[in-house]
Amino acid sequence: MPLTKKEWVELENKAADLRDLCLQTVIWAGSGHVGGSMSSADILTLLYYKHANFDPKKPEDPDRDRIVVSKGHIGVILAPLFAQLGLVEHEQLKTFNLTGSKLGIHLDCNKVRGLDSSTGSLGHGSALALGMALAARVKGQKYKTFLILGDGECDEGSVWEAAMATAHFKATDLITIVDRNHCMIDGNTEDVMRLEPFEDKWKAFGFETIVVDGHNMNQLSDAIEKAKKAKDKPVCIIADTVKGCGISFAAGNYKWHYGAFDAAKEQTAREDLKKYRAERIARAEKEGI
Amino acid sequence: MANEIKITQDDRYAAGIFFYSALPLLRVIVESEPKFAAKFKGKSFVFQVSAACEGEPGGKMATHFVIEDGVFTVKVGKAHESPDLEFAFPDLRKFAIFFSGKGMPFPKIKGMSKLGYLIPILMTLLRMAALLQATDAPKKESDKELLVKLYFYLLPNGISRLNKMGHPEIKNFTQTSPDRAFAWSVKDKPELNSYIRVKAGNSKAGRGVYKRCKPFLTMNFDNAQHALDILMSKADMIEYIKKGFLFIDGAPEFGAALGNLMMTVAYYAQGQYIEG
Amino acid sequence: MAGGLSFTAVESTKLATAEIYGKTLSALGDENPNVVALTADLAGSTKIGDFKEKHPDRFFNVGIAEQNMYGVAAGMAKCGLIPFASSFSVFASLRALDQVHTDICYQNVNVKIIGTHGGTSFGQAGSTHHAIEDFAVVRGLVNMTLICPADGIETALAVRAAANTPGPFYIRINRGFDNTVYSTSDYGFQVGKAVTMNEGNDVTIIACGSCVYQSMQAAKILENDYNISARVLNMHTIKPLDKEAVLKAVDETRRVVTAEDHTIIGGLGSAVAETIVESGKGCAFKRLGIPDKFSAIGLHEDLLAMHEIDAAGIVKNVLELMKADFEAEAVKKGLDITKLNFGTAEDWTDEV
Repeated sequence: MPLTKKEWVELENKAADLRDLCLQTVIWAGSGHVGGSMSSADILTLLYYKHANFDPKKPEDPDRDRIVVSKGHIGVILAPLFAQLGLVEHEQLKTFNLTGSKLGIHLDCNKVRGLDSSTGSLGHGSALALGMALAARVKGQKYKTFLILGDGECDEGSVWEAAMATAHFKATDLITIVDRNHCMIDGNTEDVMRLEPFEDKWKAFGFETIVVDGHNMNQLSDAIEKAKKAKDKPVCIIADTVKGCGISFAAGNYKWHYGAFDAAKEQTAREDLKKYRAERIARAEKEGI
Repeated sequence: MANEIKITQDDRYAAGIFFYSALPLLRVIVESEPKFAAKFKGKSFVFQVSAACEGEPGGKMATHFVIEDGVFTVKVGKAHESPDLEFAFPDLRKFAIFFSGKGMPFPKIKGMSKLGYLIPILMTLLRMAALLQATDAPKKESDKELLVKLYFYLLPNGISRLNKMGHPEIKNFTQTSPDRAFAWSVKDKPELNSYIRVKAGNSKAGRGVYKRCKPFLTMNFDNAQHALDILMSKADMIEYIKKGFLFIDGAPEFGAALGNLMMTVAYYAQGQYIEG
Repeated sequence: MAGGLSFTAVESTKLATAEIYGKTLSALGDENPNVVALTADLAGSTKIGDFKEKHPDRFFNVGIAEQNMYGVAAGMAKCGLIPFASSFSVFASLRALDQVHTDICYQNVNVKIIGTHGGTSFGQAGSTHHAIEDFAVVRGLVNMTLICPADGIETALAVRAAANTPGPFYIRINRGFDNTVYSTSDYGFQVGKAVTMNEGNDVTIIACGSCVYQSMQAAKILENDYNISARVLNMHTIKPLDKEAVLKAVDETRRVVTAEDHTIIGGLGSAVAETIVESGKGCAFKRLGIPDKFSAIGLHEDLLAMHEIDAAGIVKNVLELMKADFEAEAVKKGLDITKLNFGTAEDWTDEV
C-alpha cells in the first residue's frame, strides 16, 4: 500500500533524526562506521517504526518479529536507534566505544535489550536468521524474521549456504534485505570482488527478488509489505543505496566506510543532513498520497 | 607303496596341527569324561603317535603321552625313545588323511599286544574322532560343551602352531600385531574359554580366561549349540551376530580377521587341502 | 567355519555407541518438544536416523554446509529450541569454528555440538577426517563445556546432561565401534567430575574417550605382570577439568601419565599439566597422544597402537616413567640401579 503523505513525512523525520543522532554518536566516539550506517538508516526506520512487529516496551516477547542486522559493524546507528526506542539510555551513547561500555562497534545482544543477535563477523546473520525462522515453524509461531545484509558481506560463502537452505526449506517468513551501497573497505564492490549480476544470483538461489531505491520510503515500504506476504519463495529485497548518504563528502565514497569528523567536517555534515532532511520531506509531501 | 607321494608343505602344516593341537585333546577327553578316566585308572605307560618325516629329529614327527597312574602329560612335538604303545604312520600325508577323517590308512601299531593300553587308547581316540568328525552336533548338552571345548582348544593351538611353522598368512598377521589376545568363549561357561596371544611374530595359545587384561577381541557365543553351529559351518556368522547368538566383543574388522585364521586351521584340520 | 565378516555388513546391524546415542537423542525428542536435531548430510554416518523417523518436523539436514548448520543452530537456540547439531569433529571444531565461537559461545546459547569420528577413529579416511586438534581448539572457547565420553553408556549420560544444562556443549565421540567400559549407567556420572576406574597408588593414568578402556587394560597388565598399581581416572570432562582429582593424584601417586586420541599439544594432557604446574607440586609427568604429526591411515585399533595409546603402549610408557623416576630416586639414595628389573621375560609356549 502506498504511503500517505502524513505517514511518509513522519517516517522521513524519524530517519533523519536517526541519521543526526548517528552522526552525533560518531563524533562522541571520535570515529565510526559512517558510510554503512547512513545507507541503512531508511531500512532500519521502516522496520522498527512500521513493518516489524516489535514493541520496545516488551523486547523479549517470544512472538515478536526478529531482526538480524548481519552487517553488525553499524552499531553506531543501531545504538542511537535503540536509544530512540528507549532500550538504551541517551546518556550511554556518549560512552560508545569507551573502555567497559555496553555499546561499541559491534553491539552485544547480551548487553543491549531488544537486539536479536551479536553480529560483527560478516556472513553469520543469514544462518542465524534462518534458525530463528525455522524455530517459529517448529514451535508453531507466526513471527517474521528480517535479515539485513551488506553487499560486500555477500562475498562470504556462508551467506550463500544459508540462502540455499532458506530456499530449500521454503522459509518464506524470512525476509532478506540487502543494503546494496556498492562500496566496501578497499573500494567499490565491483572493483574488489564483482557481485554482478547480483539480482540473478539471488534468483538462481531460489529467491524472488525486488529491487528498489533504498532511500525511497515508499518503494522500500511497498517491497517489505510484498515480502511479508510471500508464500512460494523467500524474498530478497535489493535496496539500492548510497553509502554515506546525506553527507556530501561521504556519499558514494567507499573511503567513508569508517571515518572521523574534524570541526570543519562536522559543521558541513550537520548542514548537509539538515538539507537532506528537507529534500526528503519535500519529496514525501510531493509523492505521498 | 605303488605311488610315491611327494610330501608337500601343506602336509607339514596339517601334520603340525594334528601333532600339536589335535592330539593333545586326548587328554582333555580323559580329564573331562569320568567314563574315560576310569579306563586309565592305575595304568602307567607311554603312548606315542608318529609319522616318518625327513628333516625332523629322529626322522619322524611325533607327540607322546606319558600316562602316570592314569594322569596324562602331553609332550607335543617330541618323540620318546621307547614308547609302550605307538601308532607309527609311514608319512605325513597318510597321517593327515587318517586324522582328518579323509581316509583310513592304518598306521603300524607297535605294542599291539598290550591290550590293557591299546583298548582304552583306541576307545578314547574313537571318542575324539566321533566328536570332531561328526557332521551334526551331539544331542546331549554335556557332549555339546565338550565338543565346544575341543574346538576352542584346537583353534588357538592350531593358529599358534601354523605361526611357529611360518605359514605366510598367519605369520603376516602376527608379525605386524601389537600385543593382543583373541579369545573364544561361551556365555556363563568360563571353563570352556580359550585364547591366543600374539605380539610381533610371537604367539601363545592358552586355556581358560585370559588373565593379563581383557582380551583385545572375544568371540562370545550365547550357548554351546550356537557355538557349534558356527564351528561346524552350519550357520552364517553375520546372521548369528544379528540374532544375538554371537557377540564379537571387539572391533568387527578384527573379528573378521580372526574368522579367517580359524578357517585356515579348518582347511588343514578337515583335510580340505587334500585333493580327491 | 561358515561365512566371513566384513565391516560394512556388521555396521548395518547397529554398533553399540552410535545406537545408544541415537536412541537417547530420540528419547529426548520424545520428552522435550524443544529438542531439534541438525545434520550436515551426515545423518547416516552419525546414526540419528531414529530421531529423523520419529520427529521429522524437528529434524533438519542442511546439506554439506557445516558453518550454516551451526549458525542455524544458534538462531534456533535463541528462540528457545535445544538444537543437537552433529558433524565430524574435525569440521565442527575447525571448519565451523567462527560460528561455534561467535554465534554459539559469544552469544552463550543452548546449542549442543556432537563432534563424531573423534581422534583417529575414522582411521582409513586419513587426516582430512581425523580430529586431532579439536580438544585444543574447543577447550579455549569461553562458555563451552567439553566432554569426551568413554563409551556408549557414558555418551548417553553426557547427552542427557547436556540437554538438561543450559549453555554450549561439545561432546566428542568416536566413529561407531567402542569397547564397552561401563555395564551400568548408575556409576554417578557428573559433568566435571572424573571417575576412578581403578584404584592404585604407584602412578595415575588420566584418560578420556577410547583411551579409558585402553588404560584400564594397561592397569591390569601392570598389576599382573609388573606388580605396579595404577590408578585410572576417566577424565570425561576436559572443560571444566576436575582439578581436584588431578591434584589428589599428584599428592597420592606423584606420577601422572595422560592418554588421549589427540595431539599432545593443547588437549587433555596440556590441561592436566597446567593444573599440576600451577600447584607448584613436584610430579613425574608424561603426555601420551599423537606426537604432533599427522597420522597414518589404518584401522583405529592399529593407530592407537602406533601412537602408543593402546594398552601395550600405555604400559610401555608407564614403565619408562616409573623406571626413570625410580632411577632418579635410587641414585639420590645411593642404590645400585643395575639390580632393578622392570621387564618380565615372556613365555611363548602354547598351553597343551
